[in-house]
Amino acid sequence: MNLTLKVWRQKGPNDAGKLVEYSAQGVSPDMSFLEMLDVVNEGLIKKGEDAIAFDSDCREGICGMCSLVINGQPHGPELGTATCQLHMRTFSDGDTIVVEPFRARAFPPVKDLAVDRSAFDRIMQAGGYVSVNTGNAPEANANLISHHVAEKAMDAAACIGCGACVAACPNASAMLFVAAKVSQYALLPQGQPERTRRALKMREAMDDEGFGNCSNEYACEAACPKEIKVSNIARFNREHLKASVCSEE
Amino acid sequence: MILDSKVPDGPIEKKWDKHKFETKLVNPANKRKYDVLVVGTGLAGASAAASLAELGYNVKVFCIQDSPRRAHSIAAQGGINAAKNYPNDGDSVWRLFYDTVKGGDFRAREANVYRLAQVSASIIDQCVAQGVPFAREYGGTLSNRSFGGAQVSRTFYARGQTGQQLLLGAYSALMRQVGQGTVSMYPRREMLELVVENGAARGIVCRNLVTGEVESYAGHAVLLCTGGYGNVFYLSTNAASCNVSATWRAHKHGALFANPCYTQIHPTCIPVSGDHQSKLTLMSESLRNDGRVWVPKKKGDKRSPETIPEAERDYYLERKYPSFGNLVPRDVASRNAKSMIDEGKGVGETGLSVYLDFSEAIKRLGAEKIKEKYGNLFDMYHHITDEDPYKVPMRIYPAVHYAMGGLWVDYNLMTTIPGLFCLGEANFSDHGANRLGASALMQGLADGYFVIPYTLGGYLTSTKLPKTDASSPAFKDMEKAVAERTKKLLCVNGKRTPSDFHKELGKIMWDKCGMARNENELKEAISKIAALREQFWKDVKVTASNEEFNQTLERAGRVADYLEFGELLVRDALHRKESCGGHFREEYQTPDGEAKRDDANFSYAAAWEFKGVGQEPVLHKEPLTFENVHLAERNYA
Amino acid sequence: MTEGKCASKCRLTSFMTSSLGKKFTVGAAGFLLGGFLVVHLAGNLFLFVGEGAFNHYAETLSNNPLLPAAEIALAALFLAHIVFALKVRFENAKARPVAYEVYEAKGGRTIGSKSMAVSGVLVLAFLIIHLKTFRFGDDKDGLYKLVMEWFKNPFYSGFYVLALAGLGLHLSHGFQSGFQTFGLNHPRYTPLIKKAGLVFAALIFLGFASMPIYFGFLRAP
Repeated sequence: MNLTLKVWRQKGPNDAGKLVEYSAQGVSPDMSFLEMLDVVNEGLIKKGEDAIAFDSDCREGICGMCSLVINGQPHGPELGTATCQLHMRTFSDGDTIVVEPFRARAFPPVKDLAVDRSAFDRIMQAGGYVSVNTGNAPEANANLISHHVAEKAMDAAACIGCGACVAACPNASAMLFVAAKVSQYALLPQGQPERTRRALKMREAMDDEGFGNCSNEYACEAACPKEIKVSNIARFNREHLKASVCSEE
Repeated sequence: MILDSKVPDGPIEKKWDKHKFETKLVNPANKRKYDVLVVGTGLAGASAAASLAELGYNVKVFCIQDSPRRAHSIAAQGGINAAKNYPNDGDSVWRLFYDTVKGGDFRAREANVYRLAQVSASIIDQCVAQGVPFAREYGGTLSNRSFGGAQVSRTFYARGQTGQQLLLGAYSALMRQVGQGTVSMYPRREMLELVVENGAARGIVCRNLVTGEVESYAGHAVLLCTGGYGNVFYLSTNAASCNVSATWRAHKHGALFANPCYTQIHPTCIPVSGDHQSKLTLMSESLRNDGRVWVPKKKGDKRSPETIPEAERDYYLERKYPSFGNLVPRDVASRNAKSMIDEGKGVGETGLSVYLDFSEAIKRLGAEKIKEKYGNLFDMYHHITDEDPYKVPMRIYPAVHYAMGGLWVDYNLMTTIPGLFCLGEANFSDHGANRLGASALMQGLADGYFVIPYTLGGYLTSTKLPKTDASSPAFKDMEKAVAERTKKLLCVNGKRTPSDFHKELGKIMWDKCGMARNENELKEAISKIAALREQFWKDVKVTASNEEFNQTLERAGRVADYLEFGELLVRDALHRKESCGGHFREEYQTPDGEAKRDDANFSYAAAWEFKGVGQEPVLHKEPLTFENVHLAERNYA
Repeated sequence: MTEGKCASKCRLTSFMTSSLGKKFTVGAAGFLLGGFLVVHLAGNLFLFVGEGAFNHYAETLSNNPLLPAAEIALAALFLAHIVFALKVRFENAKARPVAYEVYEAKGGRTIGSKSMAVSGVLVLAFLIIHLKTFRFGDDKDGLYKLVMEWFKNPFYSGFYVLALAGLGLHLSHGFQSGFQTFGLNHPRYTPLIKKAGLVFAALIFLGFASMPIYFGFLRAP
């Protein structure tokens, strides 16, 4: 396959960026999208040009490092996959593909297609944990957790922190990411002691980072490579409302 | 140099308790006066950093990715072992210890392995308390499954994402400490030098990957939790940024590197499809619980799998190892796949794969149940290969997966450089010549949560460390070295890309020092690697500049280290004239093709001392004695 | 919890100024306005009964001593809904300073959800005109006559129908969105709520639009 790429190039955080056209020749349908970019980069380096910067690491859809907005869609057109799991067989010979970074004020650009997602870490620092020091744990089977609840918590915990929800949201809101974490702990008995505090603190941290507001359009759910459900957002709304209005804490 | 493993005396069950009691403690008020630098944020690094910060130490944490949550521990799928004996099937600390020593083909240090088994149960308690959503039975208790190399079900799991969930648990503990100000976090930093002052590790020099600035950090101890070196083979199941640089630079400063030839080849990976491939994808060993491995009995049988009748299939693992069947340890499963393929019975277009068939399990349990157990793995396979494993058997092939070798450490996890500790996959300690499935997560967390918090204090209280800071000459020298090396890489301006060299190195390693090794090819590999290294410094091309986010430059630095390290790996493989675990020398095998150890001559850990690039390293031996598990030929039949 | 911004005294203030609180306010006001629409529609349907009935209803309503208070409350609801929605909107615009060159959602978004601002502005414009013509219009011959007069103007009736279509669109997203914002999501009931939202939006549109269509176009000379 031969493809035309229009790739966002931006030297650094404070430089202006623009789409630059490249041609990708002899692309195999078995390649992953990132491997296709690798091949383009090899060509660029050989020509003495700066390679296209993009984040990726595990290349099996679990580390959450890869990003990219491909033809307007975070992680590309496939559902439930990260960019590293997108294969070129999804495209056709002669296609033009526009590749942009995740865009949000809270994800400032680093270079080209790489952005800084440390806002997520700071939200986690505000309350995305159970306060239990090492060695302080009760026997693991002391708390019984129903199969159903454990599975639901796992559904929420499957988040890979890639930020596609923010990238896909028309408002660049981080609700799905935060809601998934709040939900995981709200569902489990281990999360109960800090339930109120967590909902308030994580919401506050989220707002401080400059993400937009959720408008319940669910583009996040559709873009999520782990298919985290928006029912978690409802749960977060509930938790936050309860913490703000009902809790005596 | 005499390697002192500092294993406490006394019966093996008492060693760790005795050692904990005898190790001097740091007064709570004094802990905050100590700065501890932790490099790497995988299971070992994140758990160590969080636990040490909880104790009151001042911790600085460095990682190469944009967030500590990305470390490659996240990709571990199947589970974590612990001697909880919840299924009541006869497990115990002793049995986990026994299985691990045996699984490691009697090349691990007994005392370390026993300690690992001892703390394993606390790891599960800790992770559950953190809110890790392990799989549960309907009654609400924790669920277990079985894994290779064991006849009990002792593996705890969270779907096929156990590593992710455990790492997120450790990461959340770490984030809590960052939020409380006890840990300072430095993401997108690559450690490029270790600073040794007055014989002790006192700091590191990093490159800020975003700005290119060279930064120095001083402390009282340095913990390397930087993972394994599997990417020396280019194609492996490791993440793109996994590298040997941190441990290799420490090695060049005097830390001995032990058993680098022990590399684990994982049997259940998705086969290579072409030249473009950047990595191999592993599918959890847990698949072997329900999947049956087979090849056609006839050579070169090109029929589609469903048309091959039962009688014409060879379920070779079940045939050769009736008691363990498809659940033999990884090295055995991988080697058998290779021998089937070498016999011409491989399947798929390239002939470089064997079947892993679920049709029987789907018939027995129903597709729904299989989906619940392995859904994400099946999806992953489907995405990559475009074949639906619910309908056609998976095709699998072995791939480099884990490094049992690593920096030599004593019982306290300290390397031969005082103050330099090494945890997790980066050290050599617990798995001998072969690691059992679901034991890597156990080791990483054991080291971080339950070992280093005790042993680090022992070092700090027993050592007088003069004041130092990043402006001292030792730091300035290393900063200069880093800057010069970067400049050198940028100045070659040759014709070949760093990845190009990496691929070539990987091919040499895989062909000559992969699943089966022999003297001639190993010797050939040494000269080929040396030649490639020379060519690298003449012909590599690194574009753009240091003062920016430059992934080509990062890669070039890592490949340069691999080109030096690869030679050590091959030399170690050449010197070890026996077969054991992940190290299979064709000259040393039993008549039926199993690994043949030479306990009389090789029952030791080989720890290598650096003598210069291209110079022959000096071998130091730590004798391994087996007082509790008796040396025996591994037999899984 | 006693420290900082989360002290219980300012808990409500911090809720109201938070991203989630603002949305809650928009949603809550929206729901109450939806209730108003139902009552309003019920009253309007007297048009179909006849002039006497309709005028009697209008007079009873305007003679109710509680009406001014209700009207102020209603105005406050509109104001809260609009002000908070605008605030959210402006913040959202700031949250992505550099726009995508190509942007296409993989799913989730609907015509209703995409056009909330446009439909909202349309409804607001209609509301102003509507208040001017009917609430503050000259109804000395009875409200019925005034209404009929306006409906006979095809431009007015056309605009009326168009604006009501906008309102329907607005509700098609707003109804289910409100439930989500209040945290009411359930795997069994949410699909029903979504359908109910569409039905509600359609009924409100058809109910209101039936009058200008019938009196303005079908029954017109």
